[in-house]
Parts: sequence; structure tokens; C-alpha cells
Amino acid sequence: MTKIEAVIQTSKLEAVKTALHDIGVEGMTVLEARGHGRQKGHTEFYRGREYTVDLIPKIKLEMVLADDMVERAVDAIVNAARSGQIGDGKIFLSKVEEAIRIRNQERGNAAL
Amino acid sequence: MSLTAVTFTTQDYFKKESEKVRARFEDSHNGKAAVRERSDLVDKVTTQLWNSATESAERLEKVCVVALGGYGRQTLFPCSDVDLLFLSASSPSEQAQKQIRKLCQDLWDLHLRVSPTARTLADCSKLHRDNLEFNISLLDCRYLSGDEHLFEQLREQIIPKMVARDAIELMQRLVDLTRARHKKYGHTIFHLEPNIKDCPGGMRDYQVASWLTLVSELEKTGTWPTENVLPMTLRKDCGAALDFLSTVRCFLHYRQGRDLNGLTYELQSEAAAAGIGSAGGSPITPSDWMRGYFRHARSIYRLTVLLDEVPQTRSGLYRFFESRKSRLSNADFSVVDGRVFLRQLSSVEDPSVLFSLFEFVARHGLKLGAETERCAEAELRGTQQRASQYPELWSHFRRILTLPHAGAALRAMHQAGLLVLLFSEFRAIDSLVIRDYYHRYTVDEHSIVAIENLHALRNPDEELDRRFRDVLDGIEKPELLFLALLLHDVGKGLLTDNHVEGSLQAAEKILDRLHLETDDQNTVRFLIGSHLRMSAMVRGRDIFDPQVVQEFCDSVSTTERLKMLTLLTYADIKAVNPEALTPWKAEIIWQLYAASSNYLSRTIDDQRVDAHTSNEEHIKRIVSTASPDVDSGKLISFLEGFPKRYLLTHAPDEIVSHYRMHQRWDGVEPQIDLLKRNGYYEVVLLTLDRPSLFARVAGTLSSWGMNILKAEAFSNKTGTVLDTFRFVDLFRTLDMNPTEKARLKRSLSDSISGEIDVMEMMETKFKPATKVPKVKIQPSIRIDDESSSHSTLIEITAQDRPGLLYDISSNLTELGCNIEVAIIDTQGQSAIDVFYVTQGGGKLNPILRGRMRDALLQQLGRKY
Repeated sequence: MTKIEAVIQTSKLEAVKTALHDIGVEGMTVLEARGHGRQKGHTEFYRGREYTVDLIPKIKLEMVLADDMVERAVDAIVNAARSGQIGDGKIFLSKVEEAIRIRNQERGNAAL
Repeated sequence: MSLTAVTFTTQDYFKKESEKVRARFEDSHNGKAAVRERSDLVDKVTTQLWNSATESAERLEKVCVVALGGYGRQTLFPCSDVDLLFLSASSPSEQAQKQIRKLCQDLWDLHLRVSPTARTLADCSKLHRDNLEFNISLLDCRYLSGDEHLFEQLREQIIPKMVARDAIELMQRLVDLTRARHKKYGHTIFHLEPNIKDCPGGMRDYQVASWLTLVSELEKTGTWPTENVLPMTLRKDCGAALDFLSTVRCFLHYRQGRDLNGLTYELQSEAAAAGIGSAGGSPITPSDWMRGYFRHARSIYRLTVLLDEVPQTRSGLYRFFESRKSRLSNADFSVVDGRVFLRQLSSVEDPSVLFSLFEFVARHGLKLGAETERCAEAELRGTQQRASQYPELWSHFRRILTLPHAGAALRAMHQAGLLVLLFSEFRAIDSLVIRDYYHRYTVDEHSIVAIENLHALRNPDEELDRRFRDVLDGIEKPELLFLALLLHDVGKGLLTDNHVEGSLQAAEKILDRLHLETDDQNTVRFLIGSHLRMSAMVRGRDIFDPQVVQEFCDSVSTTERLKMLTLLTYADIKAVNPEALTPWKAEIIWQLYAASSNYLSRTIDDQRVDAHTSNEEHIKRIVSTASPDVDSGKLISFLEGFPKRYLLTHAPDEIVSHYRMHQRWDGVEPQIDLLKRNGYYEVVLLTLDRPSLFARVAGTLSSWGMNILKAEAFSNKTGTVLDTFRFVDLFRTLDMNPTEKARLKRSLSDSISGEIDVMEMMETKFKPATKVPKVKIQPSIRIDDESSSHSTLIEITAQDRPGLLYDISSNLTELGCNIEVAIIDTQGQSAIDVFYVTQGGGKLNPILRGRMRDALLQQLGRKY
């Protein structure tokens, strides 16, 4: 099992959700996030006040998938979230040792 | 018969009888009867088991078994706790404890949720501050079995004494607990999935009212009343409501097999299909069934009027504040204990008194007295036509909307039936449940909560809220925003696929009835029609993309509309549920607002009317507004070269009146119009551009003691300047002396032509502010050479004060700058001035920009 964490543009959430749903990903966690990578943010000036938008609003998606689904899910996210501009986001993959469904204690892929 | 055999037989008997009670309930849907039958059944079993447990004892223990709480009231719901008190004169002996344990065990074996407590008479005489529920449960005590004399002592001596001693504290604590519970549920009955026991308007509220009146009666007379002590007027309304809730609660317990009192969507559907509590027991739609629920909950919630009769537990200062409220009383209304009462009940027949009553609530945040509320309701039933066709309707209603406690007033109006009477379209969303996973309140309550959210901005907790508060402070006609919020979801109750379209259709009729000016109607239409646009933008578009911001601004058109749409979006999301507007969402909305606001103010100079190439809707509207005697060709020529903002920020009839000024103008003497608006004056002047024109007008107004709120300076292709100044007549000079209006116009004309020296007038007549500002605004200056293709943009933010605009504009003039466009605004104590300036027909050079910054900062009192 692999955990996918994807940080994407806020505006790409619907497209990514649809793309993942189309390949059979049934569940995910969506988090409101703030952050920056190389897209360092910018300075705005409003009504006489200067403010730095250094942490840009992003969406973070988290899901744990069976290993044979991971590459397809990554492709789906990349295709749906990519604009080619700085700030499109990142995807992180990490191995997950075990998954347990609390309701009936199913384990492994069955719990996903 | 052995004890085991008794228990087995009892179990069997209890099970069968319980099933019969349930079967009768399923058949009759009579919750009141079911809870009584169940209580009787448990009485029988408990008595039998207690007698069995004590009959074989060596000696008779002085213990009494007493029913408490709901069981004591003989209203035992299928899965509710069975509260038992084992009362003794002194600590129970080992043998008595054994008997108590045995009884509890047997009852648990019957799957009854027994909550036993063993107390002495002395325990019962104390006020248990850490367990007040126990003292309250004693108020419902009922003898079951055991030593009758003990019970007699408890009921006739101990409890009356305890109440006589601690009545005030008991009632105060009860009120505090109730208020805390109401707070948890947002002080509203209108939850989509309400808890029928604990929500405001739930069964607990009825009980609290009963306890309060019982304690008050016991304290007064020292004896137990023989019948229900709730005031007759309140009791009548609540009887049916209590029966309904009892039936629904029975239904919930039987369906779920647990003491769960949440009315979920699924259970609402089941109850509606089964006709639970409905007239004739016929199936109805879940929406209609829930409307019935809210009607009953409203009746119960009215009982909370009794809470206000209990003296406050708060500090002396709070009590002082409360008692000061009674000083708010006037010729029509009196204020007692935070409630408003009509001095003459019949006066409510006069619509102006009726509306003033709700205006009074909106101003002071008070509740209506029960009698006043009933009178208002009764009056409304008889005078439908009069109130809805009252000519002053909008003038009252707009005041109600903008007053700080508008939410309370709207709720009171809705409760009395006035909202639906005034706007029959609102009936579609009256107590309407729309099922989704995010909304917490019914549609009507959501709209009122949204209005409250905006008013709450006036006392912001967070920095981000302070920013939205500043936006709210700068809105010219907040009543239009509040009206749009009230109506934005009316379409949800109509048979239409698109609720926005539905809301717009419903709003049309309401706007007509309110006789709003055309431009105001358009603003409300825009807000309702666009109420999902901004949240869709932040959700689905990259708001940091300038193209996206530009598209959004094109759809919004003006800064005023942008401000209102931003606040509407903020309030609407926040009213979905208390957690819906996360700081993340609020931040992103504000960022889109800031980017759009900047875009709108920085593109004014470049976006000008070109009548030959543009075929704009706005120009067509202006031409069609003009009367036939107006030459449309000349009118269009007049518009040529004005910033497009001019067309967007003025109504077509205003623009036509400006054109007429132009027609009257002889090219020499400035044309000046002075108009009284709602709460401020507006002076419009049309003349040829000349050096220091803007500063002269600003200086003249300041020297007359006028406080300038907003100003605009535009010019067209032929060099005709159109300046608009909005100001407040601080000393009421013009109001008190109508002839001064002509003198002010003369003074303006003379200062423009140079016959009067404005600088001298400022030195001799101008009175600077003496008050210390409450908030200190740091001055800042931003000079932007990029936004405009031929002007330099100067954006100044500073502490607002009389004479500020004159100081800034005369400074710019002294530096040899020409003001091409000016947009002057105030938000709270900040003045936000945007000038597009040129020198010698072009942008300012770097040296001049530096000098200007230094000079302005020095003048504004701080140098960075």
C-alpha cells in the first residue's frame, strides 16, 4: 500500500477529484492548506497596507491506495492538476505498513 | 416462589406488557399515552420487585423508593433512564444496601436503564451546587414503595424548605444551564436535524419553564400546587406542542432502540411517511412535516420568556446595565427585564407603531414581551393589506435591516408572521429544510444568520474580520446588501432547477412593492444573481492570475458592487454552519477582493469611453433614459473620453442630468448642483479644467465645516471637468439655514474663478478637528508608474480628518501636478485617496515623484 499526498492548486480540486474517481479511486481526504515551494509568494499593496502573500492557499489531498493503483492515480493527478506554471504543486509517495478499517477490523487492501 | 422465579416471571411479564405498549403506540401514535403506560408498567414492576426483596428481610428497613425526573413525572420514554431515589432517614444499613442492589440488578436484567441514587433526608435538604440536577430532579419526586412517612417528610417539609431557602439560586442556575444549552445550539430552533430534547424549543425547554414556575410557586406559598402552574396563556399553546414532541420522541426511541433524540433526515422521512404527530396521522412530505415540527418548537421556545423573569446571577455592573435598559422606554414602548412591551396594546393597529416596534428591537436587541408578541400576531392576521401596502414600508424596513440587532428584529417579525405577510414570496422558505451535509439551519434562518454575521463584523475578533469590517464601513447603501442577503435563497423554496433564478424572480415582485429606485433595484438583482459567483471563483479559478481577476472585475463593474458581493459571500458561507467559513476560505475571499479592488482603482485612467468604437450597453441605457428632447449625438459626444468608471458609478438619469448641466453651461461660469441625499449632501460641478480646481473645491467645503466623505474628479475629451463631492454637514448649516445653500454655491463658484482666496479662507474660517481619533492610522503613500499608460498613480492612505483632502490636493498643485482623475473614499477612520496625476501632459519624473512623496509624508505627519 502506498500513501499519496498531493499538494495542488485550489482551482484544480474538482478536476483532480473527477480524474481519480474515473480510475476507481473511491476515497480521499481533502485538506485546506497554505504553503509555498519555489513559488515564493508575492507582495500585495491594498489600501495603504503592504502585505506579503508568502503562504499561498493550496489543497492537499491524501489517500492510501493498493500498489497496483498508484501509478494510474499519479498520472491522473498530474494530468488534471498540471498547468505548466510554477505553483502546480507536488506529489509525495510513501509506503504504508498496514491499514485497518475500524468498523470491522479488516486489514490490508480490504480496508482501503 | 424463589426470587429467581419471580424475576423470570417479571421479565416475561415486563417484556409482554412493553410490547403491548409499543403496539398501542404504533397503532395510535399517541406518545403522551405511551409514556404514561410505560411509567405505570415500570411502577408495577419496581414495586413488585422491591416488595419481594424486602418481604424476606429479618426486619423492616426504613427506606423509601422514589421516582425522580421524567419517570417521576410519569412520562417515561421507551429508552429513557429510570431515575430512582432510595431515601432513608440515616445511612442505609448493610441489609438495606443489599436490597437496593438486588432491586437495581433485577431492573437492569429487564434492560431498564436504572439510575439509582441513595440519599438521606439531610442530603435532600442541601443545595448540591456541583450536582444541581439532583435538586431539580427532586421537584418531580413521586412515591413508589417503602416507607411512606419518609416520603411525606421529603415532599412536605424537606423540599419546600430547600426551595424556600435556595429558590433564587436554584432558578438562576437553571437559567444559566439553559442559556448555555441554547448557546450550544446557536440560540435557534431552526436546525435541519434538531435534537428534539435539547435544542431550543425542545422538550427540555418545556421542563425548565415548568420547574421555574413550580419553584416560584413553592417559594411563595410553601405548598405544592395542585395543577400545572405554567401561566394559562403559555400553557394553551404548549399543550399540543408537548404532545407532538412526546409522540416524536417515542417514535425515535422505538426506531433506534436507544435514548437518541436527534431527528435525522432519514428519521424525518420515516416520521413523515408514517404521519407521526400529523393531523389524522396521514403521510405528508418531509418538508411539510418539519414545518409542523418547527411550529411546535416555536410554541415551546416562547416559554423561555419565563427565563427573563428570574433575577440575573451576573455582576452588579451587568445588573446596572440591564436596569439601564428600562430607561429606553418611550411614549410607545416600555422596557422591563430586557423585554419590550406596548404601552397601549391597541396602538399596534397603526402600521407605523408596528414597524417602530420592530425597529426598536433592531436598535436595542431586546425581545418582545409575550403579550406584545401575541398582540402583534393577532393584529397581523386582521390587517394583511394595510401592513404590506404601507407607503413607508421601505423606509422602516431599511432602518431595521441596518440596525445592529437586525437579526433579532427579523426573527421577531418572522415569528409574528410579519415577514411572510410583507413578502409573501418568503413563505416558500419558511422553516424550509433543504437536505445537505453542510447546512445546519433552515433556509429562512440561514438568511437571517447571514445578516447577523455581517452585523457581528462591527465587533471583530480576528484581524481578518477587521479587514471585512473596514469593507463594510465603506459601503454607501448597506441596506441593499442586507435586503439581498434576506432574499438570496428564496428560490430554494420554489419549483425551479436553478434557485438563483428563482430568487431573482421572487425578488422582482418584492423590489416593486418596496418602490426602490431603479439603480438600487439593479444592485439587489446583481447581488442575488451573483451570490454564488465569488465562492465559485475562489473554488474553481486561480485567483492569482491577473486574467482571472480582470474577468471577475468585468462582471462586477464597480468597487461598490465588489465590496457588497465580497461581504455577501463572506456572510453567506459563514451562515452555512459555524465552522463553514474557515480562516483559509476567509483569507482567499479577501485576497480575491483585494486584487479586484486594486484592479478596479488602477485601471480607471486607461479605460475610457470611446463612443465611436464601443457599443456599450451602458451608453444605450443612458440614451434611452434621456427624454426625447435630448440630442443623443450630443449626449454621446459629452460622454466621450470620460473614464468608464464614470458610467458605472452613476445612474443613467444622473448622467443625463450632468449632460443637462453641460447644456446649460456657458463655458465660463461653473455649473454647480447641490443635492440633499440620504444622510449627506452631494455637490456636482461642471467647468473647464484649470489649475488647483480640485483643491479649491475641497478647501471651500472644508472651510464651511463640511466633512468630505467621497469625491470623484473626471474629465472628458474636451477638457470638461465633472467633480462630485459627497459631504456631511457637520454643523447642520445647510439644514438649519436653507438660504445658505445658495451662498455655498456662490462661494464655490467664486473660489473656482479665483475671486476668493481659498488659502486665506482656510486660514481664517477652517476649524481643525479637536477630537483625538480612536484608531491611529499610519499614513502611507504608494506611487505607481505602471498601472496607467499616461498618468502616475498616487494612492494615499491616512487618518481621516477635516481639511485632509484640501491639504493633499493643494500640495499636488503646488508641485505643479494636474489631477486627471481622483477617487476619494473613506472607510471608518481611514481616508483612501487615489489620484492619477500628470505634469506637462505626461507621467511624473523620478525626481518629482521623490519630492512629492517627501512633501506629502511631511504633511501627513510622519516620514518613513
